[in-house]
Amino acid sequence: MSANFSTVGQSVPPIYGIEKATGTLRFPADINLPNMLWMKILRSPHAHAKIIDVDATAAGKIPGVAAVITHKDVPRVLFGPYQNEIYPLDEEVRFVGDTVAVVAAEDWHIAEEATRALLVKYEVLPAIHDPEAGTEPSAPNAVLNYPESHELKPGDIRPDQLGTFGNVIGLKEGGPTVVNERGNVENGFAQSDVVLERFFRQSEVNAVSHEPRACVAVYENGACTLWCSVQDPYRLQDSTARVLGLPIEAVRVVSTNLGGAFGVKVTGRFAVLCALLARKTGRPVKIWFTREEESLDSHNRSALTHYVKAGAKKDGTLAAIKVRTFLDNGYWPYGGLGQNIAFAICTRPIDLYHCCPNVKWEVFAVRTNRPSTGPYRGRADAESHFPIESMMDELAHAIRMDPIEFRLKNRLHEGDDLCSAPNKIMSTVWLEEAARAGAEKIGWQRRSSLNGADRGSRKKGIGVAMVIHSCGSNPAGVSEAEVIIDSAGRISLFSGTADQGSEQQTTLRQMVAEVLGVSLTDVGGSNADTSTCPFDSGPFSSRTVYATGIAASRAAEEVKKKLLEQASILLSEPATNLDIREKSIWKRSDLSKRVGLDELVRITGSSIIGRGVHNAKEDHLFAYGFAATFAEVEVDVDTGEVKVLRLVSSHDVGRAINPMIVEGQILGGAAQGLGYALSEGFYFDQKTGTALNQWFLDLRTPSILDLPDIEPVMVELGEPTHPFGAKGCSEISYVGVAPAVANAIYNATGARVTELPMTPDVILKALRDAGGA
Amino acid sequence: MEPQTFHQIALKINGTVHDLEIDSNWTLNDVLRNRLDLTGTKRACDYGGCGSCTVLMDGVDVYSCSILAVEAQGKEITTIEGIGNSENLHPLQKSFALSYAAQCGWCTPGMILSAKALLDRNPDPTEAEVRLALSGVLCRCTGYTSIVQAVLDAGRVMREAR
Repeated sequence: MSANFSTVGQSVPPIYGIEKATGTLRFPADINLPNMLWMKILRSPHAHAKIIDVDATAAGKIPGVAAVITHKDVPRVLFGPYQNEIYPLDEEVRFVGDTVAVVAAEDWHIAEEATRALLVKYEVLPAIHDPEAGTEPSAPNAVLNYPESHELKPGDIRPDQLGTFGNVIGLKEGGPTVVNERGNVENGFAQSDVVLERFFRQSEVNAVSHEPRACVAVYENGACTLWCSVQDPYRLQDSTARVLGLPIEAVRVVSTNLGGAFGVKVTGRFAVLCALLARKTGRPVKIWFTREEESLDSHNRSALTHYVKAGAKKDGTLAAIKVRTFLDNGYWPYGGLGQNIAFAICTRPIDLYHCCPNVKWEVFAVRTNRPSTGPYRGRADAESHFPIESMMDELAHAIRMDPIEFRLKNRLHEGDDLCSAPNKIMSTVWLEEAARAGAEKIGWQRRSSLNGADRGSRKKGIGVAMVIHSCGSNPAGVSEAEVIIDSAGRISLFSGTADQGSEQQTTLRQMVAEVLGVSLTDVGGSNADTSTCPFDSGPFSSRTVYATGIAASRAAEEVKKKLLEQASILLSEPATNLDIREKSIWKRSDLSKRVGLDELVRITGSSIIGRGVHNAKEDHLFAYGFAATFAEVEVDVDTGEVKVLRLVSSHDVGRAINPMIVEGQILGGAAQGLGYALSEGFYFDQKTGTALNQWFLDLRTPSILDLPDIEPVMVELGEPTHPFGAKGCSEISYVGVAPAVANAIYNATGARVTELPMTPDVILKALRDAGGA
Repeated sequence: MEPQTFHQIALKINGTVHDLEIDSNWTLNDVLRNRLDLTGTKRACDYGGCGSCTVLMDGVDVYSCSILAVEAQGKEITTIEGIGNSENLHPLQKSFALSYAAQCGWCTPGMILSAKALLDRNPDPTEAEVRLALSGVLCRCTGYTSIVQAVLDAGRVMREAR
C-alpha cells in the first residue's frame, strides 16, 4: 500500500467541529418552525395489557389541544426494523412505557396535560419479566397479537401456535432461536485435560445517548418531511410512506447529525406518529423525548444469562465449547432486532477461536414484557465475549499457559471460512500483532510480579481479552455514494449515512479528496437526506468508513476516470500518461503539460458525476476488526472497590484514514466499555416490569472523575478489500473491556467475577466464593 | 385545571435585554431554546443530572434546566452563542473544534461554558482541577481525555494572549 497519501492518514480537524463548538449545528431537536405544535405520547403503566377503550373527550376539550390519535385512528399498516411486525399503535401494549396514544398541542405542557386527561380502560394481562422463566411450559405469552400479514416461510409456525415454546423467538417448534454446532462437544470434553463450568449473568444496559430522540414533521401538499434523530432514515422513509399511504418519493427524511446514537436510534415509531399528527393538523409537529422516554422507548443491550462449559488440553488446544444463552428480547412479536443478535452471539466468538473443533452454542432469545433489545455499540460481541473471554482466561490458568499464547494458539487465520458469515472467507487478521503491541504497551511481563503484590487490602493485577467485531462487512449492508464536480468546479459527496458523532463525513471526504487530488476543504456535500443522497443502510456494524468508504472511493474513482478522459482529449495525451493531484491533471513525464480541474470543467461546461456502490453480498473476502484489551486494576478486597489504573486498547484498524478520529473512537468506546464493566445497569421491577433507574444519573455512566486516561494502540497493516486499507473500529473497543477487567481482577485476587456490572457487592461475593476474603 | 400564571420578565442574555411574557413554570432552558431560538444550549436529562444545558449566570456555571426563567431576572446570562462565533472563536471553542474534543457535540456547549467558568477564575489549572471543575458535565462519547487536553490547551492560549 502506498504511503504517499496527502489527505488520507492525516489528523485533519473534523468538518463539523466548529459548528459543534459554537452551538450552531442544528440537531432535529433544535428545529423550531412557525405555528409548530408539540407532540406527547401517553405511555402504558402496565407491562402487558389490552386496551379496551380510550376516551379522549376531556383531553380534546383542553384549550390548546389540536389532535389526539389512538389505536382506532391509525392505518393498520405494519412496519419494523427488519420485518414488518408492529402497527403505529396497537390495542395490545407490551411493556411499561409502550405507546398507547399521542396528542398534539400548542406547547409541551399542554400536550402532557392532555395525555394525562386521556381515560384509558385496560384489561391487564399476565406478563413475562424473566427470559428463562418465559421458556417454562406454564409461562403466559408475552405477546398475544401476531400480525396476520407477516410472511411465513415453508415450515415456519406462527409464534402463538408454538405451545410451550411460545415465548422463544424463532418459528420452529421446540428449539432455541439459533444453534451453532460443529464436531461433538462430549467427545471434546472427554479428550480435555481440564474442563470448567461457569454461569454468567449480565445486566441490561442503555446506550444513554445524550440527545433525547426528536422529530419535526411537516405535511404539505401531499408530501411529508421529517427531521428526525434516526440512524436509518431510509427505513423511516419507507415506514412513513407506507403508513401514510404516500409514494416513497413524497417522504423526505433528514438525519444529518445525531447527538450520539450508538446503534440504537432505529425504528422511529414516534416519528411515524409525528407524521400522522402533522397530516391530521396541517401544522408542523415536534416531539422531543424526555430522558425517561429515551431510556424506555429505545433498544437496549439485553439482560443475559449464559451456562458455559469449556475444555482444553494441556498443550493449549481448545477442545470444546458448550454454551446455552438466554437473551431478553423484549416485546417484539416476531423478534425485531433480536434474531440477528442471537445469531451473532453464538457464531462470532466461535469464529475467533476457529481452531476449536467441538462447539455447541444455543441461544434462546425470549419475548418478554420489557423494552426492546437492539444493536447497541459492540452489538452481540459485548454480550458474548464477557463469558467466553473469562473462560479462556481461566482455562489458560488451569493448564498453566500464558493467556495471550493460549488464545493465539487457537485463533482464526486469514483464509479461514466463517460460521458468522456463511460462504465468506476471512480476510486479514492482525490480532496477534495487536496483542503483541498492546502487551508491550501495558508491560505484560510485569504481570507475574504484580500478582499478589499487595498494599494492605489492595491487590493489583493485569488482564487481557481478545475480541472480534464487525468492521463494515455486514452481509446485509448496502451503501451507495455520489460524487459530483459541478460546472463551477465545486466537488460534493452525497452519502446517505447519518453522522452520530463519529465524524464519518470527514473521513469519507478525506478519501474522496485523496482520489481526486484535492484538499479536504475542497469537498462539500450533504449526508443522510433522503431527497438528495443515495441509499445507505446506515451507520451500523462499524460499516461507514469501510462500506460507505468503498462506495465513496468508487464514486470518486469514476469521476477521476472521466476527468482523465476529458483531459486526455484536451492535452492530446493518452489518459494512462496522466495523473491527478493538487487540483490539476498532469502529464507524469512532462510537468509543463497540465490542466486545472476548474479549467477542465469550465471547458467541458457540464457537471461530472460518479457513482459508487458497495454491496457486501457480492464480496467473497470478509473483513473483521480485531482487538486486544489490557486492563491493570487495583482491587480493595475489604470494600470490593475496583480501580482501573490503566487500560490499553490495541486495535487492528487496517489503516487509520484520520488517526485523531480513530483514536477518539477507540477512547470513547473503551470508556463506555468501562461503564458496562463496572457501573452501568438498567433495572426493572421483577413483579411489575417498571423501570427502576431510567433517569440519567441512575444509569451510572462514567464521569470525568471515574475514568483513567485510556491508551489507544493502532496497528496499521492494511485491509486489501478497502481502497485505503481501512477497517471500521468505533465499536470494538467497547467489547473487550469488561472481560479484560474481570481477568485482571482474577489475576489480582484469584476471584472469578461472573456478573456485570462488577459493582463492589458483586466483587465481594466473588471474593467470598473464591475463599479469599 | 389551574389557571396559568404569566409573568412579564426581562432577561439579559449575551448582553441583550429581552422583554418576555412567559409561563411561570418555564425554565431558563425552555426560554432560551423555544422563545429565543438559542438552541446551542442543550437538554439531555431534564433534572440537573448531566450538564448538557449548562450556561453561565453572573459568571457561574449553572444548569439552565433547573432554573426557572423568573429566577434569572437581573442576572447576566451567557450561552455558547455569546462567547464566540465561527469568525471569532473563543480559544476554548477553537481547541474543542480542532482536537475532536467534540464528538457528537451534545455536551460540548455545556463543557465549554463550564470550562470557561473555571479558566475565568483560575487561568492556570492543573489537570486534576480541570477534571473536578468539569465533573458536573457528563460526556458519553470521548472518554474525557481529549476534553481535558482541550481545556488545558485553551488555558495556555488564553494566558499567552494576556
